[in-house]
Amino acid sequence: MNEGLVVVVRAIISFFTLLIFAKILGKEQISQLTFFDYILGITIGSIASEATVDLSSRAWPHFVGLLSWAVLAYLMQYISLKWRYAAKIIEGEPVIVIMNGKIMDNILRQMKFRASDILELLRNQGIFDMNEVDYAILEPNGSLSVLKKPEYLPLTRKDMNIKAKPTGISTELVYDGKLIEQNLQQMNKDKRWLMNQLKKYGIKDVSEAFLVTLNDAGSLYVDKYNDEIKKVKDIGDYKGPY
Amino acid sequence: MRRILIIAIPVITLVLFVLIMHSGNFLKRPMGKDDDIPGTIDGIIEAVRNDSWDEADSRLQGLESAWKKVLFRVQFGSERDEINQLTKNIARLKGAVTAKDKSGALMELNEAYMHWDELGN
Repeated sequence: MNEGLVVVVRAIISFFTLLIFAKILGKEQISQLTFFDYILGITIGSIASEATVDLSSRAWPHFVGLLSWAVLAYLMQYISLKWRYAAKIIEGEPVIVIMNGKIMDNILRQMKFRASDILELLRNQGIFDMNEVDYAILEPNGSLSVLKKPEYLPLTRKDMNIKAKPTGISTELVYDGKLIEQNLQQMNKDKRWLMNQLKKYGIKDVSEAFLVTLNDAGSLYVDKYNDEIKKVKDIGDYKGPY
Repeated sequence: MRRILIIAIPVITLVLFVLIMHSGNFLKRPMGKDDDIPGTIDGIIEAVRNDSWDEADSRLQGLESAWKKVLFRVQFGSERDEINQLTKNIARLKGAVTAKDKSGALMELNEAYMHWDELGN
């Protein structure tokens, strides 16, 4: 038995099976994962790794295990999507831990959170003074959402009655030296307009630009391949590695 | 067309993987004249019962070469322990045939048969 070859074949099977199942299970970001999702991910990953290297059993039982966990996870997702009450039990719900500036210590005990944990989460949000906090909500994924007291909220243009133009999102017109005509048409521009704009940045051909974006307000961002920066700032704390 | 491909490619991939994982069971079946493991084991059992040790020895060589051929095919859909046990049975059978040990040889042959049945299942 050529164990190396068998492991390679099994690794290909596990890798692509995991990829397909992960795509089916959804597009949740790591930061959105609940504690259960996290454990689920570890378990499914562990089954996949066993399927790769545990040659003492066939790959099939591992594959069935992987499939069963993925199906159960999908079912849980489906149930919590269709049934709000089940979602509350399965995924948990947001809990108010600070209300009107007061720490809800009973709730903290229930959630098995210490006051120091809440202070740490507040510091992560840039809040070092408890007096600034009006409301704090512990989300099911363990992060803390904070509403500051009105006197500590930043001043906005609206407060000052200053009108602001919407900037919209940027659309890529040139990416990696290649013109994206579809986006150019979408922004109601043509190649002649783009070339006229690029000339202002000293660009004669699209291939000289690394990235060109345009937002709805008409603001153009241009980055050339030749950045003309002679010395790149080194922010490392030691020389090297080469 | 793209939509169909996006669905079809993962489905085909998963089906292919399932086939590879179950390949042991159908790839162990004889595909030529010299890779019939259960047939060869039957032949050796018959030769040992009749105390035809020279015939048993020549058939054993056939079993060894057949197992080498089949092993490459079944390794992706079988467990290592079954493969190793069958390999050990053949090695011990060689000793029993050399020593003309009838009971030892029959024991190994029957155990080899059992491992063959389990292979890929």
